[in-house]
Amino acid sequence: MSEQDEQALLVAERVFAGYVPGVDVLCGCGLLLGPRELVGVIGPNGAGKSTLVKAIFGLLRIRSGMVTFKGKDVTNLPAHTLVSRGIGYVPQRQNVFPTLTVEENLRMGTYLRPKEFSRRVATVEELFPVLAQRRAQKANSMSGGERQMLGMGRALMMEPEVLLLDEPSAGLSPRFQDQVFERVKEINASGVAILMVEQNARRCLQICHRGYVLDQGGNAYTGTGTELLHDDKVIELYLGTLARAR
Amino acid sequence: MRVPFVLATALTQGDAVPQGPGFLDRALQALVDGIQFGAIIAITAVGLSLIFGTTHLINFAHGELVTIGAVMAFFLNVGAGGPGWHLIPSAIVAIVIGALLGGLIERGLWRPLRNRGTGLINLFIITIGLSLLLRHVVLVFFGTRPQSYREYDIQQALDLGPVGITPRDLIIVVLSVLVLLGVAFMLQRTRIGTAIRALSSNPDLAEASGIDVDRVVLVVWMLGGGLAALGGVFFGLTEIITWDMGFRLLLLMFAGIILGGLGSAYGAMVGSFVIGIVAQMSSLWFPVDLQNAWALLALIVVLLIRPQGILGQRERVG
Ligand SMILES: Nc1ncnc2c1ncn2[C@@H]1O[C@H](COP(=O)(O)OP(=O)(O)OP(=O)(O)O)[C@@H](O)[C@H]1O
Ligand SMILES: [Mg+2]
Repeated sequence: MSEQDEQALLVAERVFAGYVPGVDVLCGCGLLLGPRELVGVIGPNGAGKSTLVKAIFGLLRIRSGMVTFKGKDVTNLPAHTLVSRGIGYVPQRQNVFPTLTVEENLRMGTYLRPKEFSRRVATVEELFPVLAQRRAQKANSMSGGERQMLGMGRALMMEPEVLLLDEPSAGLSPRFQDQVFERVKEINASGVAILMVEQNARRCLQICHRGYVLDQGGNAYTGTGTELLHDDKVIELYLGTLARAR
Repeated sequence: MRVPFVLATALTQGDAVPQGPGFLDRALQALVDGIQFGAIIAITAVGLSLIFGTTHLINFAHGELVTIGAVMAFFLNVGAGGPGWHLIPSAIVAIVIGALLGGLIERGLWRPLRNRGTGLINLFIITIGLSLLLRHVVLVFFGTRPQSYREYDIQQALDLGPVGITPRDLIIVVLSVLVLLGVAFMLQRTRIGTAIRALSSNPDLAEASGIDVDRVVLVVWMLGGGLAALGGVFFGLTEIITWDMGFRLLLLMFAGIILGGLGSAYGAMVGSFVIGIVAQMSSLWFPVDLQNAWALLALIVVLLIRPQGILGQRERVG
């Protein structure tokens, strides 16, 4: 574990955080993301999955615990400074700027390096061709699936080393879900380490290298994707007994 | 009770429309005056709207930024113990001071309070207190006597066919429109302008895109302070400088913003012109004292027909 720790890109250790004073939503959970790894976080509604990602990304103050990125302490640094260090984030809801056009959304992706816009936009539009067709369209007129693509595209504009995705498939039709998982695999294969929170636990564990099961703000189980997929307790509690039948 | 009666007779008797030298001429003149008044409201309201859009703060003290701009320019222009500069350099320095004051208030007051997580209602109450405080500081230094600038005070109106406008007022309208176009260009085409719109659109995502939200808000406050000061000088020029002039304008600024669609800077511009025009046109039929009441009535009527305001967008559902 310690050797893995040293190489890890992103580490969160014993994190405590919450929204209301005196109430911790996260009670000592943690995780580890290695270079080029695709790691999934699953768990029931309200477990604190989104909260963990927000805390790692500096959108929610961590009360105790530590987050390191490439060996440097980044606990409670404001999110915009993490962006310049190479972390991208796509929120669960409200993942686009609704009143801005698609192009302006992407432009805000390279807010910190405006000169790179034209170079990066070509790459991102290659990955998500729909964005190229919709450049002048307002983001609030796009479908949920298209918004998800735009949200990911925006986050990829800065060429992040780590991408944090909060439920990228939530609310999408099965066809769009497939597309999103395909894209996630593709992005990961291009060298971006991805931490993905997912409601669709089975699909997530199928494509992830490793997974964490979060429950009530703490780590319940960890293991490789396949291990978790076949773990009886995980099946019972989080995947549903239907999963066993398959 | 007399008012509705006048309206009723005006409607029933075709030729009983208000008497005097050419009703159409007077209407055109009121329209011109309304555009000019609207331009001044718009210049001040745009900053108020941007502050609301980016921070959701309802800045009740915005009128005082207007007053302070006008009074600063007065002090530099003709104030006792002032340098006695010409109005133009005085106005420019007043605008700079307005921008710095806006920045100072944001940096010293709102940012620390926001970072502590102070609720919006509490912040709103604090702006009311700040408004009161600033207004009375102005009162102490400026006094209750209305004043005028030394230059451009009394001018011969240019005769443009049916309507007359003084060169001063014409220049104020032209400058206001240019400034508003400049603000629109900045919002639409520049990096900081797009960041301001992005922040109004989705604050967390703005932060997550690498935008330093505190810096953008500071820029918005400085812009708002500078525009308020400019509006104050214009207002003082067209009417008169008093210690509570901005406060009297505040309700009309809010009306313009809400009429145009809360949170939209362009809506604030359009709404302000509508408010200014309605206020001036109403005096064709009704006592001048009721101008503001008619402007607010127009606000209510528009909101009944279009609850999101003229340019406001309905929330997309789902
Ligand atoms: N902005 C907020 N203010 C207060 N409490 C919040 C806020 N967001 C989340 N919570 C609370 O924190 C807990 C964890 O929420 P979180 O959104 O992290 O869950 P989640 O695991 O992402 O759930 P889901 O699968 O539904 O997205 C919940 O009890 C929720 O009520
Ligand atoms: Mg969530």
